[in-house]
Amino acid sequence: MHEVANTPRGEGILWCIQCGRCAGSCPVARMTTAYNPRRFMEMIILGLSRKTMYDLAWHCLSCFTCLDRCPQGADTGEVVLAVRSIAARGGDVPKSVAAMAKRIIETGHLVNPTGSVRTQRQKLGLPELTPVKDVQIIMRNTGLDRIVGYHQGKGPKE
Amino acid sequence: MKYALYLGCLIPSRELSYELSVRRALPRLGVELADMEGTNCCAPFGIQSLDCVSWLALAARNLCIAEEMGLDILALCNDCYESLSMTNKILKESEDVREKVNATLLDVGKEFRGKTNVKHMVDVLYEGVGLERIEKSITNPFKGLKAAVQAGCHLVRPKILHYGVGRGFDDLDRLVKTLGIEVADYEGKEICCGGPLRDIEDNFARNLSRKKLAIFKKANVDCVVTVCPFCYMQFDMGQLEIKTMHKEEFNLPVVHFAELLSLAMGFQPSEMQLKEHKIPADHILLKHSGG
Repeated sequence: MHEVANTPRGEGILWCIQCGRCAGSCPVARMTTAYNPRRFMEMIILGLSRKTMYDLAWHCLSCFTCLDRCPQGADTGEVVLAVRSIAARGGDVPKSVAAMAKRIIETGHLVNPTGSVRTQRQKLGLPELTPVKDVQIIMRNTGLDRIVGYHQGKGPKE
Repeated sequence: MKYALYLGCLIPSRELSYELSVRRALPRLGVELADMEGTNCCAPFGIQSLDCVSWLALAARNLCIAEEMGLDILALCNDCYESLSMTNKILKESEDVREKVNATLLDVGKEFRGKTNVKHMVDVLYEGVGLERIEKSITNPFKGLKAAVQAGCHLVRPKILHYGVGRGFDDLDRLVKTLGIEVADYEGKEICCGGPLRDIEDNFARNLSRKKLAIFKKANVDCVVTVCPFCYMQFDMGQLEIKTMHKEEFNLPVVHFAELLSLAMGFQPSEMQLKEHKIPADHILLKHSGG
C-alpha cells in the first residue's frame, strides 16, 4: 500500500474507508463482476496479488465518476493510474498501450492523418500536421522510451 | 476574444468536419482563433497511466507554446482539455513538480511559466460568447429535431477542474436548445461512452457503447450530439463495428455540436465536409434545418 501511496496520484489510497461509493458509481462495475473499484482498493490495502492488481487496473475507464463521489477524497480513479505506472516501471504494459506510447514518441501524435487526409487538409488550406521531434528528446529525459521499449536513434543526450 | 486553438490529434486527422465547423462558426461569434505551431499530443490517459512526469512534460510543452503566443488555449477535445488543464493546475500549484518537469523540457528550449489558461470550447461559447449572442447569430434554427446530448466525461469531471458537477451537462444542453433542438432526457447521461477502453478491453468498450446506443434509440432521438471526439468515434464508427460483430443496427447519426451550430448559422454542409460521417448525418440535419 505504501508503494502506491508514494507514487504520484496514489496518495488517495491512504484515505479509503471501504465505503463502496466508488463501486456504486462505477459504470464498469455496473456491467461486469470482473471489476469493482472498492475491491480493487481493498486488494491494495491488504497487499494481495500484484499481478491481479495490475490486471484489474486496466478495467478502469478514467471517467472519474468515483473521484467526484468519494466522500474521503481517496481518488480511486487516480490510484488506478498510480498502480498502472508501478506496473509499467516493472515492464508490465498492455501491448496496445505500449504501441500507442511508441507512436506518440515517434511522431509526437496519438493519431496521424492518412495521405488522403493530408491532401484534403492542403486543399482546404488547413495547417499541416508535422511530426514533433522534441517529443523523442523529452521522452528520453523522462525515461518513457525505456519503459515502453522504444529504441531511439542517436540523439543529443547520447 | 482571441485564443490559441489546440486541435489535438484525433480531430485534425479523423474528424475534419468538427475542425472546419469550429473555424467557420467561432470567428463569426467574435472568437478569434490563432493556430498553434508544432504542438504535440496532449498526453491522454494511456500516457498518464505509464509515467506521471512524462504526462506532465508532454502536456506542458503545449502549454509553453500558448505562453509564447501570449494567449489562453481553446481545446476542442474533452481529453485534451482534461490533460492540459490538469497539468496547468498541477504545475502552477507545485514548485517542486514544476522544476522537475521544466528540467525535462530544457533540452527542447521550453520552460513552463504558468502564464496561460485552458478553456474548453463549451466554456468559451457558454460563458465567453453567451447564449444571447449565439441566439442572434442563428439564421436557420432547427425544427422538430430531437437529440440525445452526450457531453463526455472530462467536460465535467473531475470537479476540481473548471466545471462543477452537473454544470457542464447543463451548459451544453442549453447551447443545443439555443439552436432550436429538443434535448431528450435519457438514463445514464453522465455515463462514459466506453472509448477509453478501446484497444484495451475491446469487448467491454463496445458493449458499453452498445448499451448507450440502445438507450438513445429508446429515447426516440434523431441524432446524438457530442463535443468529444472520442465519444463521436465510439458511437459513429462504433455502430459499424456493432453491426458487424452483433448484427445489430442502430442507424443513429452522431454529430458534433459545432457542426449543428454552423448549420444553424447558415453555413452549407459542404463547407464543413459533413459527408464524412460513417452514419450519414447530412440528410437528417438538412431535413430538420429551418433553411
